[in-house]
Amino acid sequence: MEALLEITPDVVAREMLTMDWDEPQTIERSATAIKIRGLRKSYGALEAVRGVDLEIQRGEIFGLIGPDGAGKTSVFQILGGVMQPTTGEAKIFGQSARETRSSIGYLTQAFSLYQDLSVAENMRYMGELRGLSRAEIQRRGMRYLKLFDMDRFTDRLAGRLSGGMKQKLALACALITEPKVLLLDEPTTGVDPVSRREFWDTLAQLSADGMTIVVATPYLDEAERCHRVALMHDGVIHQTGTPAQLRHHSGLKRLEVRAADLSRAETLLCKVESLADVQRFGDRLDVMARNAETAEAITRATLRSAGIAVNEIRAGAPTLENTFVAILRELNGEVNTPAFPVRRKFRDRAPNAIAIGAHELHKRFGKFHAVKGINLEVKYGEIYGLLGANGAGKTTTIKMLCGLIEATSGELTLADEKGGFRSSFVRQRIGYMSQKFSLYDDLTISENLDFFAGVYGVPPAERAEKMQWALEFSGLAGRGNMLTGSLPGGWKQRVAFGAAIMHEPSVLFLDEPTSGVDPLARRAFWQMINRLADRGVAVLVTTHYLEEAEQCNRLGLMVAGELVAQGTPTEVKAAQRGQLIELNTSAPQQAANLLKAEMESWRVSLFGDRLHVIVDEEVLSAIQNLQQRLRRAGIDVRDAYEERISLEDVFIAVVEQARREGKVAAED
Amino acid sequence: MKNLIHKIRGLRVFVLFLKEMRQSRRDRKFIAALILPPTVQLILFGFALNPNVTDLRLGVVDDSRSVLSRELIAAFEASGSFRVKTYFASPTVLGQELSAGKLDAGIIFPPDFARQRERGETAKVQFVLDAVNSNTAGIASGYAQRIINSFNQQFFKSEAGVKLDGATTPLSARVALLYNPGLRNSWFILTGVLGILLILNGTLVAAGAMVKEKEVGTVEQLLMTPAAAWEIITAKIVPLCLLLSLDIWLALGVGWLVFDVPLHGSLLLLYCAGVLCVLAGVGLGTFLATFSRSLQQAQLLSFFVNPPLAMISGATTPIEAMPMWMQAFTWINPVRHFSTVARGILLKGAGIEILFPNLLVLMVFAFILVFFSARQFRKQLG
Repeated sequence: MEALLEITPDVVAREMLTMDWDEPQTIERSATAIKIRGLRKSYGALEAVRGVDLEIQRGEIFGLIGPDGAGKTSVFQILGGVMQPTTGEAKIFGQSARETRSSIGYLTQAFSLYQDLSVAENMRYMGELRGLSRAEIQRRGMRYLKLFDMDRFTDRLAGRLSGGMKQKLALACALITEPKVLLLDEPTTGVDPVSRREFWDTLAQLSADGMTIVVATPYLDEAERCHRVALMHDGVIHQTGTPAQLRHHSGLKRLEVRAADLSRAETLLCKVESLADVQRFGDRLDVMARNAETAEAITRATLRSAGIAVNEIRAGAPTLENTFVAILRELNGEVNTPAFPVRRKFRDRAPNAIAIGAHELHKRFGKFHAVKGINLEVKYGEIYGLLGANGAGKTTTIKMLCGLIEATSGELTLADEKGGFRSSFVRQRIGYMSQKFSLYDDLTISENLDFFAGVYGVPPAERAEKMQWALEFSGLAGRGNMLTGSLPGGWKQRVAFGAAIMHEPSVLFLDEPTSGVDPLARRAFWQMINRLADRGVAVLVTTHYLEEAEQCNRLGLMVAGELVAQGTPTEVKAAQRGQLIELNTSAPQQAANLLKAEMESWRVSLFGDRLHVIVDEEVLSAIQNLQQRLRRAGIDVRDAYEERISLEDVFIAVVEQARREGKVAAED
Repeated sequence: MKNLIHKIRGLRVFVLFLKEMRQSRRDRKFIAALILPPTVQLILFGFALNPNVTDLRLGVVDDSRSVLSRELIAAFEASGSFRVKTYFASPTVLGQELSAGKLDAGIIFPPDFARQRERGETAKVQFVLDAVNSNTAGIASGYAQRIINSFNQQFFKSEAGVKLDGATTPLSARVALLYNPGLRNSWFILTGVLGILLILNGTLVAAGAMVKEKEVGTVEQLLMTPAAAWEIITAKIVPLCLLLSLDIWLALGVGWLVFDVPLHGSLLLLYCAGVLCVLAGVGLGTFLATFSRSLQQAQLLSFFVNPPLAMISGATTPIEAMPMWMQAFTWINPVRHFSTVARGILLKGAGIEILFPNLLVLMVFAFILVFFSARQFRKQLG
C-alpha cells in the first residue's frame, strides 16, 4: 500500500511543469469531438429527448443547462454508451458512443467509488481494470491527486472523504485512463462552494490539455466558466452559444437594487409591466429591463410610493442565471407556489421562545472530534442557515439537534422540550428533510405522500388536499402514479420537501433541500420557506447556494466542527475584513491562476466570468496594481470596481483561511 | 363498521404496514424469494434425499445352472433394486469387475446349489457387495436379504402341500408398516424439509427486509417520524409473516401434487404451527439484521445459523443416528418440533391433544426469538 503511489518529489515537479497552464481560448479547436444528429429517446410513452443536434469541438468545455427533467441525463447516458438512442446518432470522434467507450470518462451524480477501498486503491483498481501498468498508474495517479490537492490522502478510505473530495477522487479515477472525452453529469451537486471552484479550476486545466468536457450543472455561475453552453428544456435545445452570447441575447439590462424590505419590494416590482423580470439574489433584487435609465426611474418611484427605502441601484450586465431564469419563465410560465392549505392553529408562545437550542454541544466519533462546542438558538418564526464546507460537521449537528443521534455532551432544547426528543409527541411537531434518501424509491409519488401524511397523523379528511398541494408544489400534478425512483434528483427534492411539511410542523430541519434543484424551483422553495417562517415556524436549513442563504434571518458558519461566525447575513459580511474588487477581464481563468500564484489563494476566486479579489489596501491603488499585473501577462482588464462582499466571498475566505491554518481536521 | 375501517386506516401501525406491503409488492426479488426456493427445494429434496436404491448393477456367476438359480436371479431382477449386468464364468473375474467399480454387487451360485436344496439342506449362495458407499451397501444387503427371504417363503409354500409334509415352516417376522404403508421415504423428507424451509426462508427474507432501510438510507427519515420503534418493527414483521406463511400452502400443494403426501389431521392446526415456525425464522432474521449493514452481510451471517439448524433437526436424517450429546441439541431446535408436528398431523392425523408439547415449545421459541430480536433491533434504531 505504502509503496503504491510513492513518487519522488522531483518527478512530480517535472510532471507539473509539463502541464499546459495556458488559457483554453488559445488552443486550436478545429476538430469536432462530438457530433449529435436528430437524437431522440423515449421511455415508453414519455419522450425524454426530442430531437437534439449538437456539435462539440475538441478541448471545449461544453455546458448543458436546463431545468430538472429536461433530458440532460438521457443525453449523457447515450453519449457514455450506457444507453442506446431511440432514433438519431451520437458520434464521438466519428465512432458510435458504444465503440469509443474506452476513451470516455463518465462521472454520474452518484459517487461511483468503492467506499471501503482507500484513495490509492480506488485509483489502482480503475487503472488495472483498463490494463495500465503499475508504473503508469503511479505516475498518472500522483499527477491527478497532486492536481486536485489530494496527494496527502492516498491512504484515506474513500468512504471517509467529504462529498467534495469524493467527487474529486471520482474524477481522478475517471481521468486515470486519460480519456479523450469527459462526461460530467452534475458533478458538483452537494459540493461546497470552495471545492466547486477547485473542481472547475481542474476542469479548465484539463481542457487546456485538449480534453473535451461535457458537463451538466444546476449552478449557473459554473456554467459561466464553460466555453459554450446549450440550454435544454423539455427534451429540446433552445439556445446554444458562448455564455456571453446567451447573456446578451435577450437584449436586457440588469439593475441591482438594494432596498430595505426585499421580499415586499420583489412582490411590488413583479407587478410593474414595463420591467421584464425581477429576481431575488441574496441581499439584492435583479431587475431586468430593456432600458436601464427608465427602469431605474420606475423602480425608485414604485418603491418610494410603497415607503421602501432604496439603498442603492447599480446598472450592470445580466448574468447567465438572469438569462436562464428569464428564458425559463417565458417557456414555463411563472412557477406558482400553490397556497399551502393551513388547517392547524399555531400555538401561541411567548415572544422570543426558543424552538431549537444548543449549549456547548460536542460530538466525538471515537478519536474524531466532529462537533466542538456549538452554541446556537433558533426562535420560532426564524430561518437559521447553517453553512460550511463538506465535512465541517453540519449534518452531524443537525442530527444531534433533532435527536437522531446522541450528543457526547451539551444541552439541547427542541420544540419547548429539554429532552425526550424521541417521543412521538415531539416528533409530531417536527419536520425533517434529510440530505439524501428522504423518499422511498420503490413507492409511487402518491404512495410516498400517503405514507408520510399517514405516519405523521394528518387527519384523513385533510390528506387529499395536502397531497394535492404537495403534487402541485412539485409540479407533478396528475403524475402521482410515477415511481419515485424514476424522478430526476431535483424533482425528488421537491416531493420530499412537500412530504416533510404536510403535517404543519412548528420546527423544520432542512439539510440541503435545494441541492440539485433548478434555479426556478429553488425560488419556489424559498418562497415556501419564507411563508412558513412568517407563520411562526422555526426553520434550520443548510445550503451550498450562498445567495439563498442571504434570505436567512441568521447564519452560522461552521468550520471543522466549530461555529466560527454567527449573526445576520449583514453582520457576518461586515465581519470580513478587507475590500472586494470585482474584475472583468478578457481571460478570467488565466487571470485567476496568475493572481492565485502571486497572492494568498483565498483572496482570489472566480464568480462566473468575473474575478473577485479581496485586498487590504486602499481600493483605487489596489485596482491599479491588479491592472498592471494582469496587463503584464497580456490580460486585458475591461472593468474594475469595488463590490460589496457577498456571503460567498466570506465563505470562501473563511474556509480557505481555516485550511491554511491547518484547522480543517476532517480532511487532514 | 365504516367508522372502524376509518379508525384502522388512521392507525400509524396500519400506515406503516401498508407501506411495507406496497414495497414488497414491487419487489420482484422478494416475491421470487417467496415462491421459487420453497418449490424447487421441496422437489429437489423429495427426490434427491431418497435413500431407496434401485438398478444396482449385479454380476452373476451361475455354476449351478439350475431352475432354482435362474428363479432366484429372476426374483432379484423383479425387485427393481438389482439389474443383472453381466454373467461371468468365474468368481475371480467378477471380483475384478467389482473392484473396478463396474459392478455394485455380485451373486455367486455354487455348482451344488440346486442339489443342496434337493437334499433338503440349506442351499448357500454368496452375495458380494461394493461397500465403498457403506450406506448404499447396507441398504442393498438388506434388500438382498429380503428378496432371499421372500423367495424362501414362496418356495416353501409351493412345495409344502405337495412334498414336504409336516415340515416346519421357517420362522419369519411379520412387520406391520403403520402410517407410511408404502414406506415412501419422500413423506418423511418432505415433512421435515417443510420446517427447514419455513425457518430458512423466514430468516433470509426477514434479514433482507430489516436491513433494507438501513442499506438504502431511508431509516433516518423514518426515525424522524412520530412512529415508535415497536410500530416500525411490528409493521415490518406482520407482513413478512403473512407472506411467508403462504409458503406453507405452497409446500403442502407441492407435497400433495408431486409426492402424494396425505393429510390425515387438521389443516388449521398445521397452519398455526407453520406460522409459529415462520415467526421463529423472522425473529432469527431480525436478529441477524441487527449485526449487518447490508443484505449480503446478513445473508453471509445466516450461513452460520441455518445449516446447523437444518442438520441437527432430524428433519432429513434420523435423530437416532446422531451421537447422544448432539441429540440433546435437537430439543432446542424449532425445526425438530415443527417436523414432529407436521408428521403427526399429515401422516398420523394426530390432534392438538397429542402434539401440544411440541406446539408449546414452538410457541415459546417464536416469542422469545421475536421479542429479543425486536428489542435488539429497536436499541439499534435508537
